[in-house]
Amino acid sequence: MEKRQDRIRNFCIIAHIDHGKSTLADRLIEKTGTVSSRDMSDQILDSMDIERERGITIKLTPTRMFYDYNGEEYILNLIDTPGHVDFTYEVSRSLAACEGAILIVDASQGVEAQTIANTYLALDNNLEILPVLNKIDLPSADIEKSRKEIEDVLGIPADDVPCISAKEGINIDDVLKQIVEKIPSPKGDTQKPLKALIFDSMYDNFKGAICFVRVFDGKVKIGDKIQMMKTDKAYEVTEVGVFTPSMKPVNELCVGDVGYICASIKNLSDTKVGDTITDAENPCSEALPGYKDVKPVVFSGIFPLDGSKYGDLKDALEKLKLNDASLHFSPETSIALGFGFRVGFLGLLHMEIITERLEREFDLDIITTAPSVSYHVFKTNGEMLEVSNPSMLPPVAEIERIEEPMIALSVYTPPEYVGPIMDLCQEKRGEFLDMQYLEKTRVVMKYHMPLGEMIYDFFDALKSRTRGYASLDYEVYGFMPSDLVKLDIMLNGETCDALSLITHRDKAYQRGRQIAEKLKKVIPRQLFEVPIQACIGGKIIARETVSAMRKDVLAKCYGGDISRKRKLLEKQKAGKKRMRQFGSVELPSEAFISILKTDDEN
Amino acid sequence: MIYVHIPFCDSKCFYCNFCSAKYDEKIKEKYFKKLVEEIKFNSNKYKNITSIYIGGGTPSSVNEKYIKLIINELKNNFNIDKNAEISIEANPCSITESKLKTYKQIGINRISIGVQSLNNKQLKIIGRRHTKKQAINAIKIAKKYFNNVNCDLLIGIPNQNYLSLKHSVKCLLKQKINHISAYMLICENGTKLTKQIEQKQVKVASEDKCVDYYNKIVKYLKGKKYYRYEISNFALLGYECKHNLGYWNLTDYYGFGLSAHSYIDGFRYNNTTDMQEYLESKFDYQKEEISNEEKIEELIMLSLRTQKGVNINELKNLGYDILKQKGNVLNSLKDFINVSQNYISIKDNKFGVCNQIILDLLP
Repeated sequence: MEKRQDRIRNFCIIAHIDHGKSTLADRLIEKTGTVSSRDMSDQILDSMDIERERGITIKLTPTRMFYDYNGEEYILNLIDTPGHVDFTYEVSRSLAACEGAILIVDASQGVEAQTIANTYLALDNNLEILPVLNKIDLPSADIEKSRKEIEDVLGIPADDVPCISAKEGINIDDVLKQIVEKIPSPKGDTQKPLKALIFDSMYDNFKGAICFVRVFDGKVKIGDKIQMMKTDKAYEVTEVGVFTPSMKPVNELCVGDVGYICASIKNLSDTKVGDTITDAENPCSEALPGYKDVKPVVFSGIFPLDGSKYGDLKDALEKLKLNDASLHFSPETSIALGFGFRVGFLGLLHMEIITERLEREFDLDIITTAPSVSYHVFKTNGEMLEVSNPSMLPPVAEIERIEEPMIALSVYTPPEYVGPIMDLCQEKRGEFLDMQYLEKTRVVMKYHMPLGEMIYDFFDALKSRTRGYASLDYEVYGFMPSDLVKLDIMLNGETCDALSLITHRDKAYQRGRQIAEKLKKVIPRQLFEVPIQACIGGKIIARETVSAMRKDVLAKCYGGDISRKRKLLEKQKAGKKRMRQFGSVELPSEAFISILKTDDEN
Repeated sequence: MIYVHIPFCDSKCFYCNFCSAKYDEKIKEKYFKKLVEEIKFNSNKYKNITSIYIGGGTPSSVNEKYIKLIINELKNNFNIDKNAEISIEANPCSITESKLKTYKQIGINRISIGVQSLNNKQLKIIGRRHTKKQAINAIKIAKKYFNNVNCDLLIGIPNQNYLSLKHSVKCLLKQKINHISAYMLICENGTKLTKQIEQKQVKVASEDKCVDYYNKIVKYLKGKKYYRYEISNFALLGYECKHNLGYWNLTDYYGFGLSAHSYIDGFRYNNTTDMQEYLESKFDYQKEEISNEEKIEELIMLSLRTQKGVNINELKNLGYDILKQKGNVLNSLKDFINVSQNYISIKDNKFGVCNQIILDLLP
């Protein structure tokens, strides 16, 4: 068995977004004949529809490949990882299951923000890093420059870096060779008690919760009694298998293997990602370090469009949580929207992906409220509250001060966009710290900025003002007191809690006006006039009116029309049912989404 | 109640989406033969019929011998009440004295003329082939033979303003007709006029303006003793169209001819809209059972169109206690509806939003 372990390589691919991770994964799979060309599709590991459509990877996806090297067959376990900043957590999870990482650098772009961030993550996990220059087929590729960047910026020797084109399939063999030559084989002892890390999990209606694991010590097969070290729950294994990349049962998983374990686990919360699975009768002495809990930074209320679907929404969130440990949620009640959840996300893209998955994979119609950050509210009585829901803000008289989360922001850009970025950051209440030339054509600009400003359209604005050339990286570093106010929206004289938001006093007027104007456009005319008012602490700062509907009548309805007209009426009724009744006002779900997008029209 | 559809027109008006077209005489002959067959197929001599309505298309555009044929066939196959209201639709271009004489002779006692407007420019824009003069003349000769004459008018057609609309109404009243149907223009999908409006070739008044015109006309007609008994129908007392009131009260009816519908004992039957199919038809109608819930919906949708409104007890008999189940809604709609002991009806100036009120009152 010793020998088998020597012929395993566990690795992941890390890169900045869009540098070609999934494409290289495709080529490796193709080259090793893991998937027959008949079944091959682009981005084969990106199994979610959203991933393929958007061309991004969200979930890490493992796969096992065989590769002949010097007459011996090696097992290569690949874990594809996401590149977007919001999904750094997913990256760190796959890293813990590997011994090495292929670091892809786009030869036409060079080292980018996420290249650096992910390299540090990999180094933190003691991984062997294997740099690869991709997209050498592009006319703008600059191999020498990119090679130098890898050495200078990342400090990784790059003299024998494979220069490839994943898209065109050039030099893929070099990568496979280096995987075998440079990435260490897994350590661990097959004689020791089972010790396996759960790095991901998913729910299957027939098999229950399925744990994706990396075996660090020992082995596991059907019939074994296993135990979750954190939850202490014990199960009998019903199936073990590997990823080909589809799930394929095998007899046993041994030290060094990446695979999955099913054990009729019904309760989703019993399979905590990061937990260690061990032998129930002969447990290992110490669990693997696992993962640190990530803190969500963006919060939003999610409500079912149809109030009776609350239970379905809850089930869906629980299932997603199993699959996405970074998702946090707790029940919330809104006067306007009824029962729902306050959900915490790692960022805006994460939020977008989750809402889209709820709608697509679970076929739910949901309403999402404007994203908010978590504020520290210090009350006059000395109490401190964490408020991530604007409607939970205590009365002004009870507030001593409010502190908002601040981020340290790095924007990487070609120098010609420095001006527009400075303007943008200033609009967003950013405080300029520093600017450095990484090289002649790349600058890093550092700012302190309120997170609350960034969660509105910052990404989009940055992209449009730099024609997509700038990239960014950020982390929350602390809290700062700020002059924040709650902006309420009143419809027909009543405050609609789901439309409230917390904003800086200087921006409140502008936002209030924008939201009122936007709402006027999306709220349909009704039997009654609907006044829309934006106000701060009872003071009205903007007003619009949706005038009463005058005409909605069928001029004619005789014998031959009745069936058709009744069907039209039923359709109209169904449309009305999709509206939210708030007092006497009927609100379309767009009303809640539209306030997210007010900045678009600047 | 019996409806007979005559799908023939000499030309298609630009706003029309009814089942009608120009056909040659051979088809007409076959059609009426088939129609007779259909009437025979449904023959029920015990069924008491209180009204017949011959609509279209343009019934007056076909040779009167066909109309005679149909009326006779109906008399042979149904028990037509001796006081039955028998209406026929006509357009100003095709009315002749000889046709009117025949109509009268076979027992028709009500005539409905598609005037639409008495402004020549407007008539041209909407694709009507008659002029103001022809229309007035048609009314005059109709009045010679029939006491009970209706004229159709359109509100909200291109080029129309309130003054020209009122002028048309005034001219009609001068002819002492006793019934007016005034319809707000519906831009149905696929009609020529809808396309012209979309392409901005012609301009129509805004919806809000249209409702203003309508409300003013309602008031004007009321002053002249033509009271509104349904959204679009105005009559001197006692001259309401019994047949149409029947539809709004969910009365059973037979419908014969292309695209006609029947509603008998809780079932609705649809005829084909394809002429060739109809000519070969074995009358195996498309049949649809109207569920109790749909019956409630139809009753509300139809009877709220009338001045009288919807009968609360009738709803209760169908299992819908509206006073109990919709108490809050009724209260919030108090500016829009009248609730009396037995009826819920729409307030005089609120018919423009009739659909919204109906939607709120559905179970």
